[in-house]
Amino acid sequence: MPEIHRREFLKLVGASAGAAATVGCSDPVSKLIPYVIQPEVIVPGIANYYASTCQECSAACGLLVKTREGRPIKLEGNPEHPINQGALCARGQASIGRSYHPDRYKTPMKRVGDKLEPTTWDDAIAILSGEIKRAGNRTWMLGGQTGPTASAWIDKWVEAVGAGGRVVYEPFAPEALREATQALFGVASEPVFDLSGSDLIIDFGSDFLESGPSPTEHARQFAEARDIAKRERGGARFVYIGPRLSMTASNADEWVAAKPGSEGLLALALLKVAIGAGGGTQAGRDGVAAPLAKIDIAAVAKQADVPLATIERIGKALGAAKSPVLLPPGVALASRRAAATARAVMLANWALGAVGKGVSIPAPRDGKLPSYHQTLALVDAMKQGSVGVLLVHGSNPVYSLPPSTGFSEALAKVPFVVSLASMPDESSERANLVLPDHTPLESWGDAEPRPGIRSLVQPTLRPIYDTRALVDTLLDVARAMGADVAAKVPTDSFRALVEQAWAGTDFHAALAKGGVFAAQPGVEVTLVGSAVDFEMAEPALEGDGDFTLLTSPGALLYDGRGANLAWLQETPDPVTKITWVSFAEISPRAAEKLGGLVFGDVVEVETKAGKLSLPVVVRGGVRDDVIAIAIGQGHTVGLWSSGTDSGHPGEARGVNVIDVLPALTDESGGRAWLLTKAKVTNTGRHEKLPICQDSQNQRGRRLGLAVPLAELAAGDAHVEAEHGAADAVPGAGESAPGYPAHGEAAHGEAHGSHEMIKAFDASMDRAPDSPYRWGMTIDSDKCTGCSACVVACYIENNISIVGEEQVRRGRHMAWLRIERWVGDGNLEGGQDRLPIFPDAESSSTVDIRIAPMLCQQCGAAPCEAVCPVIATYHADDGLNGMIYNRCIGTRYCANNCPYKVRKYNWFDFALERWPDPMYLMANPDVTVRGQGVMEKCTFCVQRVASARQIAKNENRVIRDGEVTTACAQSCPTHAIQFGNLVDKTSAVAKAGSEPVRGYHSLEELNTRPAVTLLAKVQRGTVEG
Amino acid sequence: MGPSIGGRFRVSPNEFMFRKASHLLARVRRRAVEVVLAAVIAAGLVFGLATPERVDAQAPAAPAAAPAGPRSSQKAYDAQTAASDPSTPGPVQPIPFSHALHAGEYKIECLYCHTGTDKSRAAGVPSVELCMGCHTHFGGDMEGVQTLKKYWDEQLPVPWNQIYRLPEHVKFRHNRHVSAGVDCQRCHGPIETMDKVYMTKDTIWWPWLLPSTKPEMGWCINCHRENQASQDCLTCHY
Repeated sequence: MPEIHRREFLKLVGASAGAAATVGCSDPVSKLIPYVIQPEVIVPGIANYYASTCQECSAACGLLVKTREGRPIKLEGNPEHPINQGALCARGQASIGRSYHPDRYKTPMKRVGDKLEPTTWDDAIAILSGEIKRAGNRTWMLGGQTGPTASAWIDKWVEAVGAGGRVVYEPFAPEALREATQALFGVASEPVFDLSGSDLIIDFGSDFLESGPSPTEHARQFAEARDIAKRERGGARFVYIGPRLSMTASNADEWVAAKPGSEGLLALALLKVAIGAGGGTQAGRDGVAAPLAKIDIAAVAKQADVPLATIERIGKALGAAKSPVLLPPGVALASRRAAATARAVMLANWALGAVGKGVSIPAPRDGKLPSYHQTLALVDAMKQGSVGVLLVHGSNPVYSLPPSTGFSEALAKVPFVVSLASMPDESSERANLVLPDHTPLESWGDAEPRPGIRSLVQPTLRPIYDTRALVDTLLDVARAMGADVAAKVPTDSFRALVEQAWAGTDFHAALAKGGVFAAQPGVEVTLVGSAVDFEMAEPALEGDGDFTLLTSPGALLYDGRGANLAWLQETPDPVTKITWVSFAEISPRAAEKLGGLVFGDVVEVETKAGKLSLPVVVRGGVRDDVIAIAIGQGHTVGLWSSGTDSGHPGEARGVNVIDVLPALTDESGGRAWLLTKAKVTNTGRHEKLPICQDSQNQRGRRLGLAVPLAELAAGDAHVEAEHGAADAVPGAGESAPGYPAHGEAAHGEAHGSHEMIKAFDASMDRAPDSPYRWGMTIDSDKCTGCSACVVACYIENNISIVGEEQVRRGRHMAWLRIERWVGDGNLEGGQDRLPIFPDAESSSTVDIRIAPMLCQQCGAAPCEAVCPVIATYHADDGLNGMIYNRCIGTRYCANNCPYKVRKYNWFDFALERWPDPMYLMANPDVTVRGQGVMEKCTFCVQRVASARQIAKNENRVIRDGEVTTACAQSCPTHAIQFGNLVDKTSAVAKAGSEPVRGYHSLEELNTRPAVTLLAKVQRGTVEG
Repeated sequence: MGPSIGGRFRVSPNEFMFRKASHLLARVRRRAVEVVLAAVIAAGLVFGLATPERVDAQAPAAPAAAPAGPRSSQKAYDAQTAASDPSTPGPVQPIPFSHALHAGEYKIECLYCHTGTDKSRAAGVPSVELCMGCHTHFGGDMEGVQTLKKYWDEQLPVPWNQIYRLPEHVKFRHNRHVSAGVDCQRCHGPIETMDKVYMTKDTIWWPWLLPSTKPEMGWCINCHRENQASQDCLTCHY
């Protein structure tokens, strides 16, 4: 009888006893599929990185696309790219999901009856070329901004096929700012702001850290300007002027909650005080004397609802500042007088000598720019029936144009609508023909965010579906229309076109590097004499009602383009920590007036253009006469962007606030957003919101600490004298877990936090022979709360998305969350549940502490002691290991963790929430956790392990900087440092040894965390 | 020491032994289930209720054209026959490829075909192109090579049956083991003598005389222990 081999044995077990679950490590059915021809550069198991460019917004950050076996699995910033220098924001990180989105159009689609049905490219191109021939110059193109090469070529194409024209439409475009620069300096370009050398930043509501022109770059410069270690006296001061304490404003030293629309007047009033105090250049003082004479500071103070003393104080500081930068309003405060407001702010920049220093005016660029008034003109033409074929690409006008423009009705009058979207959206669903575009990861392209900075987009993924790049599609159409048409747009393919456009450069070197980066300095500008004479008055608002409707760009969803990316929906809003839904922010006083509204009560917001109902968030960070609603939600199409995800296809997720905006422009014809008053009524309904931080009151606990600048300046000597000899035993005496001691410490002696650092050395918490103890330092003074790290962590570690309903049940899976604390907090109301947002949020002296919270890799971890199966344990290199295959799901560890960083898989989230083809983007280095398993951060141990293999092969230890975690890698401000604590010269050890600011979260519990937080520095109000 | 090693705060010896004991008990229980099942199956065999079933080859197409090039050696033909024999251990592969012939007789380095072994966690299976690199010139008269050529002509990968499969939560790295000087044979058995590859039987009796069979974790750990390699859980599981 032949020997029964183990494999056969298992087969028999399977055949005779189906329930026997003892199948070991071998599974006889799996196949090994080799390459037919293995590309030289691909070694299975080793990642390749390719440089490319992010296409999520106009900032055009450089990317490094990490690919494994030909699949991009993570996007990181390109360290050589001058814009982002290695960092990448949350939106950029999440954009990888576009390529693997389950919604994507898989083939061209044509309308049959009232449904879109798949067709072939040949058929689709034939149909479209026929339609264009028939419509002739009644063919129009409406689309988002593309790269310079594509844009120039498309213009040629429009001419070649005899179309009527092309309109570039972007919901957020800096038209007013360009107009202002044109008027003041005669140069039609958007100014570039460099904050890194500034000593006073005044932001008139541009929200430059979240939705401004280049958030990642500005975050880095902002952190540089305020670097405690490198700048004297705490570095730059930051004043935020605007009606809402946004994420950007939460980083300010001072918040001036001016009446929305008064920014231009305030800028001039501040300038007047500054010049009165001797600030500004000689030319500046002379140049603006006439217009400033008209400004009555007291009257402005009244109009803007800002105390006169505040204007004078900040104005004097502005006069004394050596290199101030004033940032003109962004989308949220773009009123009907946006161009005049931008002109006022830019004039102040000029008069104070900032132009040429922190503010540069680049040379105007060629090519078509977004234009709102052209868009509206096209809508009119559509209404009159004079558009026969409309091609829509790179934008979603049905969603993002206000219904009051009549776009939807106008679209119905266009006989043939073509969409070139890669995923279904509200606009593509109305199309007669869909010609799906590649995603940015599948396509060629380029970008020129600034003169001289040319960035390349290269495909890093073979197209997953039968899609074609926009330019290739149009090229096919031209060819189908005849050789004479094709001859007018001579190129072989989009790739050839890009190579042609880059002919003067070493194309392959540029591809490897990501582009050609030779930034040109701004042009020398002089003030156009007559430009100072303009009328700056408050903008009129439509309608009536007690509230001004403030529509701010979503910090994560931007103009709504992020809504179909599950990570951006699941990542909490940086301010309110709410996920997945729409909400309106009102102040506690306003809530009181409306009948005592509380968090989650549903209100109806009514303007002349329409009404919508949504739950409220009551917080002090909003003016009493303002209701703030973020743009981005309210889609009716798309898996995660609409209600489809919760089983309600066709139903909107949240509300689209654009629906209630009138269709009005500013003086320059640009799109205005701050337009209308709103009536708010209480509906009496209440909703439970999916929120991830139930209170921003830290109740005096040591979760987010702050140190006044004065105490920091007193320095180590002071600390030594007071506490040096104490060497208090952790957890003993005054630091016993009683609130008063901490409250006291946090009020007067926040620097006392150094005690714990002295009391234990985290680098000891390792095996005696281990050369490593991994640790992290997080600088709350640099952290802006942008959440790039959160999304980076999600994607690096295959963390599951759980959806709105599960978040509501508290089953959010993020390993890294960002906690936002308002001041020290207090114990008002005893142990009862407090309002989520403490009253202190309304204070003009901003005291928001942002403290990222992840597994602290405790040296004395409470979780380890309670695991019955040693699934969590202390690893040799000091990590708090989590062995998924060993976990039996008792959840004891999560119950015992004081930081609440352990996340439990209540369901097979990965299976449920990763529809095809999303599994292709999973990181193969990280196990996908199944149902019933606990999971948590292990400092990206897969990266540590990879670095260790390399180091071991070379018979050395891992060098400092050789390995970093996904969160630290993505951080624009370098707030997160990761490294080996045993190496006392490592960046992390040096940063963490800061004696005054260093503290550990909940250190009184003596958990011996490996994460050292550095307290936020309170720079106080701005003084002249 | 294994998981007990930590910093200053570690599991007390008593606690550790207690945990170890409960873990051991769970393991004994698991083994008991296997033993009982084995008994049931043995009984089944005795009574003729079950017949061992073999993995069938994905029948290669019959050779169409006349053999080209020099005639292959008798050894090669014998190896091909042995590799297609379903009665020997291991699954019959889509191509009756003989490791005994290539690695044993011709002494081709393992790394010549499994190119990732010293670079990557994955050893890698040779691409069809790599096979064709030699077989354009040799072996055209053999059925197996003709099947290979068919794959090449159609530009299809060869769907090899996997013999050694580790679950997703085990992060094994070939390159580390190669650079540490571990022979391929340590895990893969005398591969240079196998016409048809199968998983060799290897059982160690550690600890407390409980069996751990290749490639279960105890078997891995035993080798790590013998060679003072890391036994930290996070080395392989994350």
